[in-house]
Amino acid sequence: MIFSELYSVYYNTVAKIIEVAFNPEATEKDLQRCVMEEAFSESVLTILPALKSGKWPLLNEDLSPALLHKPTMPLTNLEKRWLKAISEDPRVKLFGVDFPDLDDVEPLFTRDDYKIYDQYSDGDPFEDEKYIKHFRLMFSAIRNNRPVRITMVNRHGKEVWVRFYPKGFEYSVKDDKIRILATGCKFKQFNLGRVVNCDFYNGYGPWREKPQVERRKDLTLLITDQRNALERAMLHFAHFEKQAERTGDDKYILRLKYYENDETEIVIRVLSFGPYIKVLEPQSFVNLIKERLISQKSCELK
Amino acid sequence: MAYNELIKNFEKVRAYMREFYVYGFKSRTEYDAKSARSYDDERRRLESWLGDYMRFTQTPEGKNVFLSVDSRVTRKNPFYKAWKAKSFTDGDITLHFAIFDILHDPEIKKTLTELIEEIDELLSSSVTFDESTLRKKLKEYAEEGIIQIEKEGRKVLYSRTPDTDITALNDVIDFFSEVAPCGVVGSFLQDKQQEHPELFSFKHHYITQAMDSDVMATLFEAIRGHRYITIDNLGKHSNEVRTVRLVPLKIYISAQNGRQNLLAFHEKANRLNSYRVDYMSNIRIEDEICEKFDALRDALGKVEAHMWGVNCKWNIKHVEHVEFEIKIEDDEQFIVHRLEREKRCGRVEKIDENHYRYIAEVFDTTEMLPWIRTFISRITRMNFSNRTAENKFKADIQEMYRMYGIDGGDAQ
Repeated sequence: MIFSELYSVYYNTVAKIIEVAFNPEATEKDLQRCVMEEAFSESVLTILPALKSGKWPLLNEDLSPALLHKPTMPLTNLEKRWLKAISEDPRVKLFGVDFPDLDDVEPLFTRDDYKIYDQYSDGDPFEDEKYIKHFRLMFSAIRNNRPVRITMVNRHGKEVWVRFYPKGFEYSVKDDKIRILATGCKFKQFNLGRVVNCDFYNGYGPWREKPQVERRKDLTLLITDQRNALERAMLHFAHFEKQAERTGDDKYILRLKYYENDETEIVIRVLSFGPYIKVLEPQSFVNLIKERLISQKSCELK
Repeated sequence: MAYNELIKNFEKVRAYMREFYVYGFKSRTEYDAKSARSYDDERRRLESWLGDYMRFTQTPEGKNVFLSVDSRVTRKNPFYKAWKAKSFTDGDITLHFAIFDILHDPEIKKTLTELIEEIDELLSSSVTFDESTLRKKLKEYAEEGIIQIEKEGRKVLYSRTPDTDITALNDVIDFFSEVAPCGVVGSFLQDKQQEHPELFSFKHHYITQAMDSDVMATLFEAIRGHRYITIDNLGKHSNEVRTVRLVPLKIYISAQNGRQNLLAFHEKANRLNSYRVDYMSNIRIEDEICEKFDALRDALGKVEAHMWGVNCKWNIKHVEHVEFEIKIEDDEQFIVHRLEREKRCGRVEKIDENHYRYIAEVFDTTEMLPWIRTFISRITRMNFSNRTAENKFKADIQEMYRMYGIDGGDAQ
């Protein structure tokens, strides 16, 4: 259904090459560059040679196109059905764009056909008008490289304001929240859902402040493969930069890198594996686990 | 056969990608049991597609290859590339570009004979195609929705489907390619778009789902059509592949453990079961429609209130009681917020200013244990009707004390 040459890197690259070849000044190097930019690392060995040799007779000997028009292809049913499916997602309202006419298209899936069952329940209000307004203002500020001033409630319940340059968004499907990535102030990110008010900032700098670069830290874990712990752990930690090594029959070492700000989250994620994962290094992380266990012991759970 | 970086069948590379990415500790010799040649070819292909993420390490057993991706930094799921490596014949690619060159405008309508003649002319007869090859290709394209076939009297006319303007959707497609099911289709659309700055990055982003995109799309197709399916299913606890016939009802996607499950009705056993999507292959959609699909879906909806994860039963009489209490300090209200936002069913009760209770009736207590462990440091009391699960939980904590030398002894 999905695995088709219609979507292949090769078809896309050949389309690009032919498009470039319509420029009478295009050289073989220009065509080769298309392969390097669009295709896989070994595709240089196949795509241009096949076009030059006439195996795929789509270029003439002088590398001009054998075709009369720049290549285009309509959207497939699959592509339209996926578009229809996402057009029905509440989050799409953020973008305020009109979808093409897909009235006679069946969605590939609907919200009734799947469920993200472990997503946190306090996600952002994606359909709230004020939230949408804030998102679009940030969006415009990012696109136009303009600073903004926001008012938000801090963790002590006090309203504070801050000005910064928004640089992008980060979305977490687990939290179901959007964070605004910032520069020009000391904070790296802000929860969009916590913004009370925002507008473009028309004042002057200085913009000397920069968020601290988030440190990445190493963590070494020992996994005991009982109760399918190996598979569970490797999938659970799959989204980190990581490396695994087998050290014994049912023992595996997993080394991963995490962001310092996420340390508390990583501690509880490690704890969730119980005795099947033991922290080996660094000692500071071992101590964080120990502190929790010592506190637990004091609870005298019977 | 000579090495080719393109492939005909995705199934084999799906298995290797999973091994290299999820595990990544096997040496070449461990794959040799299957075929050394096959290993070398698949490794080379993956390196060609995903070279930037390929890592190597030397161990006493030999060289290990693995894939390492920090998905918070990578804005596009790199595994989508594998779906763009389908092989084809010289005729396929030539015909593809020739057809759409001749049918460059939706207003142009041609008969098969006219198309053959014009293709011959376009390609200066360097390659010729017979009518049956062209008819087959056009039929295939009509099924994909990119060619329209209509009859005018006795003539059959072929034209291209009108284009769909997606230029306004750049950011929408960028976002949903990473967060919506079957996001690889969004990636196909991105390939048609002009280059533009990407505004989104993603946290807690499980990119492994990409490998199961085709299975997911086929399951959705079956669900939409209320069809029966037959699948080859690798057992959870064995390496045995079994063929099962099911009514697929809903896909359960995890945002926390990277797994996707199909909730389906196993008619023969009269059971509601969950099946790991990454353990499935060879999904066949049957013609037969399940007449009671809506009733089954409704029934699933009713039992969902007792599902913590993906395990469920028809009868809610089979639920287990789970109850535990935690203590919080005066400035730790965020822990109560955690309970509230992370619970998927059940309720939170305040006992006093510093103590809270969580209560639920669930089908499978063991599915909850990892979550309950995240409250280690503050659990004061627990009461599970599944005594085995409760004893296991407590024994695990004792084992953790021992592992970290908390009980007075040395750390293990």
